[in-house]
Amino acid sequence: MSLVSGPGRAGVGNMPAEMQLFVDKHVRYIQSLDTRKDELEYWLTEHLRLNGLYWGLTALHLLGHPDALPRNEILDFLCSCLHDNGGFGAAPGHDAHMLYTVSAVQILATLDAFGEFEERVKDGRQKVGKFIADLQDSETGTFAGDEWGERDTRFLYGALNALSLMGLLDLVDVAKAVQHVHSCANFDGGYGTSPGAESHSGQVFTCVGALTIAGRLDLVDQERLGAWLSERQLKNGGLNGRPEKQEDVCYSWWVMSSMAMLGKLHWIDGEKLTQFILQCQDPELGGLADRPGDMVDVFHTVFGIAGLSLLKYPGLEEVDPIYCMPRSVTRRCLGK
Amino acid sequence: MASHGISRGSGSVVRSEEARQKEQQQIEAYKDLSDLVNTKIAEKQYTVEVLGLVTKLLHENPEYYTIWNHRRRVLVALVTEETQSPDELLQGDLQLTFVLLRKFPKCYWIWNQRDWLLQKAESLLGADAAQELWAGELQLVNKMLHADSRNFHAWGYRRIVVSKIERLGSSTTDSADTSSSLAQSEFDYTTKMIKTNLSNFSAWHNRSQLIPRILRERNADAEARRAFLASELGLICEAINTDPFDQSIWFYHQYLMSTISPSCPPNGFVVEDLTNGERQKYYENEMEYIKEILEDERDCKWIYEGLLGLAEAYLEVDAGTGAVTTKDMRAWLAELKRLDALRRGRWEDLEKRLQL
Ligand SMILES: [Zn+2]
Repeated sequence: MSLVSGPGRAGVGNMPAEMQLFVDKHVRYIQSLDTRKDELEYWLTEHLRLNGLYWGLTALHLLGHPDALPRNEILDFLCSCLHDNGGFGAAPGHDAHMLYTVSAVQILATLDAFGEFEERVKDGRQKVGKFIADLQDSETGTFAGDEWGERDTRFLYGALNALSLMGLLDLVDVAKAVQHVHSCANFDGGYGTSPGAESHSGQVFTCVGALTIAGRLDLVDQERLGAWLSERQLKNGGLNGRPEKQEDVCYSWWVMSSMAMLGKLHWIDGEKLTQFILQCQDPELGGLADRPGDMVDVFHTVFGIAGLSLLKYPGLEEVDPIYCMPRSVTRRCLGK
Repeated sequence: MASHGISRGSGSVVRSEEARQKEQQQIEAYKDLSDLVNTKIAEKQYTVEVLGLVTKLLHENPEYYTIWNHRRRVLVALVTEETQSPDELLQGDLQLTFVLLRKFPKCYWIWNQRDWLLQKAESLLGADAAQELWAGELQLVNKMLHADSRNFHAWGYRRIVVSKIERLGSSTTDSADTSSSLAQSEFDYTTKMIKTNLSNFSAWHNRSQLIPRILRERNADAEARRAFLASELGLICEAINTDPFDQSIWFYHQYLMSTISPSCPPNGFVVEDLTNGERQKYYENEMEYIKEILEDERDCKWIYEGLLGLAEAYLEVDAGTGAVTTKDMRAWLAELKRLDALRRGRWEDLEKRLQL
């Protein structure tokens, strides 16, 4: 799976007047990604390989083509990224880090492959769970990304996401983590990377997601945050990540999923946003870009499609706003 | 993380044979270098030569996080072996990360490396040297924010740098000692940034973070606190008048209003002993001012939203004065629905909540 952007570009030229989602093109685009080893970009993005696999696989599931990538090859690759300490790196030989470990768990969940993982790795889930749990800062409740100690609410969310999917939340101090998230809240209702940091839609997603997993949405100033999130929509229908910034398809996900968790998705214009996301497609070679006319990549492809799923675009599988995974998968893992 | 804002242009995506061959050569060279670095590290060859190879690779790909980790492993070994002075190594890395940050200002790993370096320097070179280094970091952040005044990473790093300088400069561990506090100069910095560009919400945000602290540090009494609030309101009202369509300004206005609400948490108060009568007065004054702007800007939805927010706050502390009428509120809401159809669902919910 590569993160090479392109080859296509979004929404230039031959976009038909009647907008539609080019499902088959996107499936073929994602399938083609691992065949691009003759591009330098393929090698320069190796540090995102496991994330890319999660993005591509999730997009395919939402598009209704869950078997479009070879299952066994995915599992082989995933296991080749595992370290003895239970953490995953981005690719073989890359260091273990929370970001890739979460992607690995999400892939295993989506493929319903925890059983096979245990066959390949003895006590696999416990090992991965321990790697994640050991990254919690017992003093503040937040999480580091790896042994080097950088802390960020993204890692905290990732920890709760992966542990809950494996049924191992009791390995960490959830109450302390909740406390930390709460200390990152700002007057506008949003959240930043750490206490005192400016609100940012990506960070709002991680913090609201963490609180939802912990069952503590009561701590969110829902009116204020809902209002702030709704103001991310710009005239052209697209969403930005912070006040006075440009629209971008990936924020369709960060903003909308947060609004969905707060039950306020109707506070923006879904019709206009749908049109904006569809304009970001490459109608010929597949894939979505951040904005119409830009290079497509698998990151914007999955978040655009997941956004469309939240908007109930016809024919797409339902996405879980908390996990950015098919709802059928999280239902299976969580039993709810 | 992915390609942002990269236009493909309208040219053909088919590469010429020549371009293809050139790319193959680049791939080979890149793979050779990264294989070489990984092999040397696997063999634990933590030498100055390997450090040089790592530098070369990071120039080609600063997102390759594992290589930054390898760099730290090499640096720690070199310092332990005392083959090179820690100061020399540190300067080399500060230079490297500076050059890379200018080129890749949004790369997490470069900022992380910078932070890690400075933490190491503190334990290796002592507090005085560290103090000087962190002061230099403030200059770096200024440069980065000059290039992009909304850079999220730079603002975050700025807060880290400031807290380090404050901690190292403090001669006592007494938290009441504020002699080394940078809160006031940081506050002044946000003023400067805002004056350059009113839309800089990052600066408005940081300002909101600093206010309770500087008031505490000044030991501001009731009168001083009221004067401070008045001056902030003056600043923001002038900004509203300049550009009523800028949402960052309205968010800051909402922030100031939230600090005078009875439901504001005690550590966020600007004025601590407000009476409800005073609160009403503030709300009335703000409404008056905003209504004046309305005269010239009939089609700015933020004005109606501001008025409704103030009316709601007013009614919470109303002593039956009847200065806000349901009729007014209905009219403002109708304008919001007219001007801001994107958020129609929100205005309908608001209508229900306010029972209009
Ligand atoms: Zn994006």
